[in-house]
Amino acid sequence: MTALVFICRRLALLLLVLALVSILTFAIVNVLPGDVATAVLGDTSTPDQVQSVRIAMGLDQPLLVRYLHWIEGVLRGDFGASLQYGRPIGPMLLGRLENSAILGLITLAIGAPLAVGFGLVAALRPGGWLDRVISGFSVGTHALPEYVIGLVAILAFSIWWPLLPGSSLMDPSENPLHRPEALVLPVGVLVLGMLAVIGQLTRASAIGVLASAYIRTAVLKGVPYWRVVLRHALPNLLPPAIAEIGMYFGYVIGGLVVVETLFSYAGVGQMMTNAVAYRDVPTIQAAVLVVAAAYGVGNLLADVVALLTNPRLRT
Amino acid sequence: MASVASLPRARRRPRLRAADVPFIAFVLAVAGLIAFGAAVSPHDAVALDPLHALQPPSLAFPFGTDEFGRDVFSRVLSGARPTLLLALAAAAMGVMLGAVTGLVSGYLSGATDEVTMRAMDALMSFPGLVLAMLVVVMLGPGPINIIGAIALVFWPRSARLVRSMVVDLARREFVDAARSRGESPHFIIFRELLPNVLALVIVDFSLRVTAAILLAASLAYLGVGVAPPTPAWGLMVKDGQPLIEIAPWLVLFPCAAIACVSIGAVLVGERLRRVFALPGAEAGR
Repeated sequence: MTALVFICRRLALLLLVLALVSILTFAIVNVLPGDVATAVLGDTSTPDQVQSVRIAMGLDQPLLVRYLHWIEGVLRGDFGASLQYGRPIGPMLLGRLENSAILGLITLAIGAPLAVGFGLVAALRPGGWLDRVISGFSVGTHALPEYVIGLVAILAFSIWWPLLPGSSLMDPSENPLHRPEALVLPVGVLVLGMLAVIGQLTRASAIGVLASAYIRTAVLKGVPYWRVVLRHALPNLLPPAIAEIGMYFGYVIGGLVVVETLFSYAGVGQMMTNAVAYRDVPTIQAAVLVVAAAYGVGNLLADVVALLTNPRLRT
Repeated sequence: MASVASLPRARRRPRLRAADVPFIAFVLAVAGLIAFGAAVSPHDAVALDPLHALQPPSLAFPFGTDEFGRDVFSRVLSGARPTLLLALAAAAMGVMLGAVTGLVSGYLSGATDEVTMRAMDALMSFPGLVLAMLVVVMLGPGPINIIGAIALVFWPRSARLVRSMVVDLARREFVDAARSRGESPHFIIFRELLPNVLALVIVDFSLRVTAAILLAASLAYLGVGVAPPTPAWGLMVKDGQPLIEIAPWLVLFPCAAIACVSIGAVLVGERLRRVFALPGAEAGR
């Protein structure tokens, strides 16, 4: 019952956040000193050109009217037309969203258990050699931008030792699952980043849990240690770890933008960087909105899963 | 969050230990690189020299040359300033905005606090890199705009951190005492509360610096904000990537430079955190 109330309240909050995000996205694009028409045309445009683009894009209308017009279209799935391709943005966005979701979900499916596992192993003997190796490794991968890790991986595994494709270049409508070998390096880079963050957080909470009284009780009553760790400690570690994974969803999404660009993987992130290069403002606006919405939904899902896995709330 | 009882006293000076020497040396080395990197570079970082294009690393060109014959070593040295100064300024600005917001909002509480914090939540509902990208694209390229965009990403995160401590502090007796002897809110916030959160703010800054280096380098790599002949490290990596098969040194050395500085910055941040005995602040990405 409490769980249901919580989920409903979080859903309402999500709607509020989405509304705020759409307003903020629109505001950044339209209210900041940089003018959309100038941004589209570049710095060398004449005032006449700027004026005609402004009228063509409807920029001469009041802000509120434009926002309502835009948001009403978005709710119908109509994001306007791309300036670069002259085609509607909605369908393009949908295909790329699917590709990004595939990349992100595979990363989560591999990275989350691995990160929790590493954190737990490191916490078994804090300060031991295994902990120091894992923690040192985490500092390294956390401090490096994804493209540094990614480029070294490309050099190592597709140029010096040609094992995997160094680029996932594909037609946006193609299903990336048909070429699993092209997914290995992008997923690997994203998983490494995740290992560092989630692994260190799990380690910190695992050290606390393993030092608690109920663990000592279990050990003293003769339960084998591996069983204590897996059956007694792990269930209490999962909810905070899952909530953290939700919080770091934004990090994964930021990573997606860089990794997709690095490997020419046709997802939303690459769409965004492409649109940036062409000053395709409607596409940027749409992609940012979708990414922020995905971030909000991801946070919500993580909170709900964390709640459902919390042994204290089991009935 | 640190309980108030475990706070270090504001006036205590951390003692210098032998173990701190490498950290101080690192900070000095980076400062030197920013100040004199361009001056001591052996070749011109932007001059074209087609005769020496795409040379592998050698004695004359320790890091090789790029497709225009520019010396990669000189570009890495001169690139320290556009890469790192930006990150430092952005981290400082974001943390300062956050500290002031957190102090004022946490002390005033009530409706002001509620409105400010919800606004901060709205800013935090964007992934950091995406928000920074959007702002720089709309404001146009340029160092000031990049600094502002990265500061905007850090602002709500630092504000939350400082506020959570101030809310605790504001209930303590020394604040009551100040209020009852008639001090102005301005005095209480900046003379009574600020010294108590200063350690937290310094550690927060040191951790943000790494995040800012990463964000700035990622923005440059994505082609946002820094205009081409500037030898920013992220931009060098982006430009070198198409040639990675024939000239891997074009990406390897700028990547190594980013790696050294950001890993060093993390270690310095960790050290500072231990010196001030504070729990970690979340990274802002």
